[in-house]
Amino acid sequence: MSTKTLLATAVTATVLMGPALAMAEMRIGITQNNVGVDSYQTTYESAFIAAAEANDEVRAVVLDAGGDVARQIAQVDSLIQQEVDAIIIWPTNGEAVIPAVRRAHNAGIPVVVTNSNIAEQGFDFIRSFSGPDNVTQGSRSAEIMCDKFKDMGIENEAKVVQISGQPGYTTAIERAAGFEDRLPEVCPNVELMETQPGDWNRERSQQVMEAFLTKYDDIDGVYSGDDNMGVGALNAARAADRDGIIFVGATNFSVGYDAMAEGEYWGSIYQSPVDDAEAALQTAIDILEGKEVPFLNYFDTPKITQDNMDEFTRPVF
Amino acid sequence: MANLARKRILTVMGNQGILIAFVVFMVIFALASPKFLSLDNLQSVVRSSAILGVMALGVTFVVISGNLDLSVGSMMSFSTIVVLDLHDKLGPSLAIPTMYLMTLGLGGTIGFLVGYLRLNSLIVTLGMLSAIHGLTLTYSGGKNMDIDDKAGTWFSFFGQGEILGLPVPIILFVALAAFLGVLLAKTPFGRKVYAVGGNSTAASFSGIPRARTVFTCYLISAFCVATAGLIQASRSMGSQNTVGQGLELEVLAAVILGGASLLGGSGTVLKTVIGVLILGFIQNGLLLIGWPFYIQYVITWIIIILAVWLDISVKRGKFWATI
Repeated sequence: MSTKTLLATAVTATVLMGPALAMAEMRIGITQNNVGVDSYQTTYESAFIAAAEANDEVRAVVLDAGGDVARQIAQVDSLIQQEVDAIIIWPTNGEAVIPAVRRAHNAGIPVVVTNSNIAEQGFDFIRSFSGPDNVTQGSRSAEIMCDKFKDMGIENEAKVVQISGQPGYTTAIERAAGFEDRLPEVCPNVELMETQPGDWNRERSQQVMEAFLTKYDDIDGVYSGDDNMGVGALNAARAADRDGIIFVGATNFSVGYDAMAEGEYWGSIYQSPVDDAEAALQTAIDILEGKEVPFLNYFDTPKITQDNMDEFTRPVF
Repeated sequence: MANLARKRILTVMGNQGILIAFVVFMVIFALASPKFLSLDNLQSVVRSSAILGVMALGVTFVVISGNLDLSVGSMMSFSTIVVLDLHDKLGPSLAIPTMYLMTLGLGGTIGFLVGYLRLNSLIVTLGMLSAIHGLTLTYSGGKNMDIDDKAGTWFSFFGQGEILGLPVPIILFVALAAFLGVLLAKTPFGRKVYAVGGNSTAASFSGIPRARTVFTCYLISAFCVATAGLIQASRSMGSQNTVGQGLELEVLAAVILGGASLLGGSGTVLKTVIGVLILGFIQNGLLLIGWPFYIQYVITWIIIILAVWLDISVKRGKFWATI
């Protein structure tokens, strides 16, 4: 082989490999809660993979715990063994995963919690929580409802009921708290008559609403912990021919979006699984690049109502 | 003489203990909430109990034949998701029979394993509980199913329609209960179910085809589940993958509350219906009274225990068991 050819080969190799060597690759592992159990998580996963592939500097190890705490703990341990640069975890259980998170922390691997936070005693072992701010979501729903009542001129006499998520779930508790605290601030004369759980379940929420409609002759507004339950409540009101009730939800689902388009459902909170996934990945990247990242790194979940819904695309879930 | 009359009254009451418990609770709830006995409310409770009720009818057969069916909850999710998905692909008139066939296929599989292979029904159906859940998730890709054109389809008839002012779910529930009630109480097949559940070995020696009877019971259960899925899908025109999650235990509670023995051989369709109604009215009554919901779980349990206790007390003629 001539010197010329050797030289050419060497030059080519350097040119080809140069960029790869120059950029330090970030290996980021994620263990998700339960992909496939609902559309939100399914969309989250595909958005995460797409975001990771779009970034040349990132190599993602994507795992799913299938809702199983033990499996998730094993996955965290295996990510520690693989010596990834950062771990993102969507906790299957806010308490049980803490020992695993702690092991990652002790191994010097920064941990980002995504979507729903772990319990407070684990806060020392994580670098950041990336997710929606459920308290703010609840208070924004209260504002949406109050603004609508003011438009209608019934802000001094309106009566509302609340259908909350599954008792004991942080998301359910925080949204309810945000709503209950904010409503009297913006609309002090609106009365929240009763709260009952709809368990994140459309059918159950329909039954709860049927009981509310039987019990109260006058209901002006319904706040539901998510749109899935909100549409259940709407179905009950429709079946009972009770018009004019203002429905406000959270986590805008496609069914809620459609009901808004039909003019039957007033508003919700737009929470995109794509934003959720991208925010989690970005948080991890920022930490690895040494940027300052807030401990509670919320992504924005804006208000959506019939008035501004054309600014948003129809949710995929 | 007087003693005999007393005994006879006790026997009659003993058979109806659960009915007496039912009446007692209805009176208590009616006193606590003025709207409880309104026609609208009664109708809406029966309508929302129809889904649980239809499933409980089928499980009654399985329980009387001496087996369990813990898979009905996830099987119901399956049929709901399948019929909603096929509705937009094939149209309702093809989607419904296809869904029934697929659900019967699942029921047939369980029936074959428990009936012909004589595997333990608890293990088979507990396994099926998660297997069918996985099947549903695989089928739907984890996404919620919604009918696109909700206004332009007659599919809403089964969950939201009315005939002569009566909601269709109630009519389906009553019709199925009447049919299955007669099937269980008045036909040779019904007697085979009791025989197999009462004493499987004796039944075999008497020439009763145990395997086929058990197999048929699971088919009946699957048929009921498919009907429940149909009502559910039509009622909300959309669904999560987990819509039936946990229903298997509520169904079992209703069947046992109605007095069917977990060991098999006893129970009737009418008593299951009463068990279903008791559960439905407890839930509704507690909502109307408006107690904080954390305590409702506890109260529901207390009421169930009271009902079972009242039932058994009337049967033996005293409140306490003698040793």
